[in-house]
Amino acid sequence: MERQWPTETTDTTAPIGQTIVFADVSVVRDGAIALRRVSATLTERRIGVVGLNGSGKSTLLKAIVGLVAPSEGTIAVDGRDAVTEARAVRATTGLLFQNPDSQIVFPIVGDDLAFGLKNHGVARAEVGDRVATTLERLGIARLAERRIHELSGGEKQLVALAGLLVIEPKTLLFDEPTSQLDLKNRNRLRGLLADLPQQAIVASHDLELLADFDRVLVIEAGRIVFDGEPAAAIATHIERSA
Amino acid sequence: MIDGLGSTGTTPLHRLPAGVKLAGLAVIATVLFVVREPMVLTAVAAAAIAVALSTGRGVAATARDLALPLGLVAAIGAVEWGLGDGEVAACVVPRLVALLFLAHAVTLTTSTAELAETFEAGLAPFERLGLIDAGRAALTLTLAIRFVPLIVEEAREIREAQAARGLSIRPTALIVPLVVRVLVRAEEVADAIDARGFPPNKNSNM
Repeated sequence: MERQWPTETTDTTAPIGQTIVFADVSVVRDGAIALRRVSATLTERRIGVVGLNGSGKSTLLKAIVGLVAPSEGTIAVDGRDAVTEARAVRATTGLLFQNPDSQIVFPIVGDDLAFGLKNHGVARAEVGDRVATTLERLGIARLAERRIHELSGGEKQLVALAGLLVIEPKTLLFDEPTSQLDLKNRNRLRGLLADLPQQAIVASHDLELLADFDRVLVIEAGRIVFDGEPAAAIATHIERSA
Repeated sequence: MIDGLGSTGTTPLHRLPAGVKLAGLAVIATVLFVVREPMVLTAVAAAAIAVALSTGRGVAATARDLALPLGLVAAIGAVEWGLGDGEVAACVVPRLVALLFLAHAVTLTTSTAELAETFEAGLAPFERLGLIDAGRAALTLTLAIRFVPLIVEEAREIREAQAARGLSIRPTALIVPLVVRVLVRAEEVADAIDARGFPPNKNSNM
């Protein structure tokens, strides 16, 4: 089941990914235990995370990019510590937040994509091309000069995703990516997800989205209670949530 | 006012570098506060209106953008006039009108990214003295522009939800949930900014 992914590639369709290792990780947030002794090695191309609200899904994703520090244990992304080497980890790992309005910083679409590139030290001469290519790739080149507050929810979600893809990460973390989307945009995101060469870890209540993934973790009260094939994981989640 | 910010265009003002526009605005503003001739100030105000309209924004949209600040200027003028100082009113009103239209022309023709970069470059000497983090100050300016419409939208949602539950419009009933929402949003935004790699790598080529 476990596979190693190439770390460098020139083929844009070849799978890209990283090895993410949780070693006995516990996280305490606001005085409550959000993750309890989580151990897992994540290498697959498509990994789902399911669980009830407050079960620890978002905390698990945030911990990978060092936004939440473990109170015990360590998280390593391709051998780099998620907390002490957070900058390096964030250069290869993008997190798509549940609400795109929280993620988009600049008022104009193109400027927002350039923000991420500037943060990661991309040369000014490259920025325009990379922004245009990324918007084109997602089919939203027409939005380049648009103001964020004029966009629909689905368009904002695509712009937020473009803001991650433009830095060419190896791994994408999605926190409830379909929760604010209508059916059309949900299907569109599903199609995009299927085509992305990057490794993706998706926390979602949308069980249909995760059905053809390589691996699904079921989280309950901060613990991984099931880790395996999607069909069995979804059945376990439904049974335990009843 | 936010609607017109950083609009794309090809007018001479759009083509002028942001630094030149901001420096020009600063110089004109300083000169305007030295000049005390109502006729000269009125002529400058008329020129400023012409400059703002040259951006292609249109008369109706410009009037809509500036309705609130122009109302405030009119109120200030009326108060000065009411206090019996018509000469001061004749200077203050055209001076503020000129500044409003010129500042609006600058923001209409300059993208937020350009403004932030210029702001950051302008603050760089203070950063070298250890007085300020120019990158963070520029980001603060950007966030203010980005989130004004979002906060207005959230206020509207709260007001509609309260109206649907039969609550009459009261400032306190609006402000408390709005502040809570803004604080929650601020925490999420801070996380997102961190996750996107801010602050920039100082060794960058940008």
